[in-house]
Amino acid sequence: MAALFTCVVCALVGAAVASLLACIPGLHIYNVLALTALAFQAWSGGGWLAGEAFTALTVAMTVGYAMLNTVPSVFLAAPDESALFTVLPGQKYLMAGRGREAVLITAAGGAVGLFAICLVLAPLGPRLLPVIWTVLRPHAHWVLWCVIAFMLMSEWPRRVAIGVPGWRRFLAAWRNLGVGLLTFLLSGLLGFLLLYRSPIPPEFAFQNLLPAFAGLFTLPWLLLNLAARATPLPQRADRGVPLDVPTLLHGGLAGVLGGGFAAFIPVITGGVGGFLAGHATAIRNDRMFLVSQGAAKVVYYVAGLLLFFVPGLHTARGGAAAMLMTFGVPQDRAAWFLALAAAALAGAVACALVSPLTSLTIAAVARFGCRRLSWASLALILAVVLTATGGRGLAVAVVAAGIGLLPVLFGSRRMNCLGVILLPMACNLSGFGPAVARALGLL
Amino acid sequence: MKGIAHFAAGVAVASCFPQAVQAGADGNPLPFLIGGACGLLPDTLDFKFSRFFFRHDVEVVPDPLRPDAQTIADAVALAVNRAWETQRPVRIRLHTIRLATDVWLPYEITFDVAGRRVLARCGSPVDTGGNAVGRTEPAGRRGGAANLACGIKLEYRATTPVDMLEGPTFTMEPTADGRVVPRFIEWHRQWSHSLLAAAGLGLLAALAAAPYLGLVAAGAALAHVLADQLGFMGSNLFFPFRAERSAGLQRVHSESAAANLLTVWGACVLIFWNLYRNMAVNVPGWNLLSVAVYGLVVPAGVGLAWRRWRRRP
Repeated sequence: MAALFTCVVCALVGAAVASLLACIPGLHIYNVLALTALAFQAWSGGGWLAGEAFTALTVAMTVGYAMLNTVPSVFLAAPDESALFTVLPGQKYLMAGRGREAVLITAAGGAVGLFAICLVLAPLGPRLLPVIWTVLRPHAHWVLWCVIAFMLMSEWPRRVAIGVPGWRRFLAAWRNLGVGLLTFLLSGLLGFLLLYRSPIPPEFAFQNLLPAFAGLFTLPWLLLNLAARATPLPQRADRGVPLDVPTLLHGGLAGVLGGGFAAFIPVITGGVGGFLAGHATAIRNDRMFLVSQGAAKVVYYVAGLLLFFVPGLHTARGGAAAMLMTFGVPQDRAAWFLALAAAALAGAVACALVSPLTSLTIAAVARFGCRRLSWASLALILAVVLTATGGRGLAVAVVAAGIGLLPVLFGSRRMNCLGVILLPMACNLSGFGPAVARALGLL
Repeated sequence: MKGIAHFAAGVAVASCFPQAVQAGADGNPLPFLIGGACGLLPDTLDFKFSRFFFRHDVEVVPDPLRPDAQTIADAVALAVNRAWETQRPVRIRLHTIRLATDVWLPYEITFDVAGRRVLARCGSPVDTGGNAVGRTEPAGRRGGAANLACGIKLEYRATTPVDMLEGPTFTMEPTADGRVVPRFIEWHRQWSHSLLAAAGLGLLAALAAAPYLGLVAAGAALAHVLADQLGFMGSNLFFPFRAERSAGLQRVHSESAAANLLTVWGACVLIFWNLYRNMAVNVPGWNLLSVAVYGLVVPAGVGLAWRRWRRRP
């Protein structure tokens, strides 16, 4: 009974703390979890980490973060790699004084994702996923290559030129496509560099990708916000969101499919999964898109972690599962049910906290101003990078920010920055990563 | 169909070849990449290349500050009448009306066949997602109509919305019976969507890589062309022996969420089955029937029930 009580407390506290931390730009839950694990290891000598309470805490913190990390994406344009897609519509809502609405819509999608996890993954996961993974495992590499190919091929020219058709119009239209390809290539090369000859000192190796992610995804938006000096309208304080059931279910279905795909296939992020499913289900509407991204994000983070507990599967997806794996693989179904229960409980807490934490952020934006908070976010992110990876990490972040600014300045897809993980990992999964690294002079 | 449906269908075609599945299991992604890329290639050729070289005779650029629907209707009527008078095709390009970064003023063109008129009507401002943005409408004439000197023969829809991103082109082509047929985005679904192009693509892949990869490439491109034939516009299947697109079967709309999802889902189920049947392992209860029923029929049934529920009065 005491163990159960401890688990419940850990789930409640974990969800609440992670929800709060998710509102701080630049803090990724995997870093927080790593620090938490190190702290508890030092405190309890490691025994506590293998216990059920730590499982409940990890799952709950992941749920809390996945539900609430939309807040800095919308109000401060400081997304992580999975919330990347919510920034653009989120900023649109923010500038119109409807930032709260954007967060609540995304959270509604997250709630749909949690329901799908509890109602679909829980009963069907142990029956289907081990077989599906056995079939797909040798083929995961080409699935990844196909995702890359579709990402690059499905970007269409945006520039609408008036005048005589011909090469000039063709080249003008191809400018954003060319920059998109260049962004993917450069970020892929950065990924190879970080993977094969990282300038980041070995003592910070577990945070190898942190500066690249901060530079590619977070810093460009913040720099743009600071340069643009745009001031959003005062934020509306509506409590409810006029979201109809078809929009919620259509967007939710897309998000669940996309997030599930991303959780299951290595290296694909929730945003990319949501993007693919959005195409597959013909999503055009901003509200539906936000719902789908909310669902995709939650399913990606939470289901990705829960796959570690699925009986007969036990695959580690994402930083949290990789960290738990170092303490052993769960052998019984009790761990699976415990993880599911913790996710459900944490989901309820996180849903309840969405509105008050959004109000708190709106109050902070109103009090300090968007510009001052953007400066504070920038300073905080640079401090996190410097603390976690040293001066060299900061240099990597600056280089990555240069690459990340390309799509922002030339109007191409920001998603191309995901080349930093997609390209080297696809090469590695296909078995020719080392050969490419040798050709690049990195080995 | 949307790009992802064509891409997934192309990958599914590749998975039907045991050599491709074996190559995939051995770490070679090429067969599936060829399948996916060739599945999407016909649209890529059109939208990323052909359209930029398609010349037009009349260009309509409405004033965003004072859009005039009457001028738009007059311009379209001018193109139709000139084609009829000169008995030569006249191409017109209609630009969208952009009011701000993400705000558009949609308008639509209607060919009134019975009344021998062209109608133009401006709508209310929307964002790129098509949602009303509640912005004040610019001043200007909201509706307009222009008489035509000849009859119209429709091969596509009577009403064409011109809402966001890049506007459409029409080729006003005189017919032998004295009418004019407005051909919607004539640069699309021509040579790139033909049986000859699919065969050529297959030949290229076969010569460059392996014979079975030629079949993968041709099959993927063919799947694209056949899927498009289910829609409204059709494709020029028999280029260069025919100059015009064959009419589509008008069974599905390319933007239909259900059709796209069903295609992608069906392709994924087929890919899974092809990978599973080429594996050495055999799981009790997992056979073609169970995969088809639980993987395709049940989800399709749920989807159908959902659509009926949505359309209930």
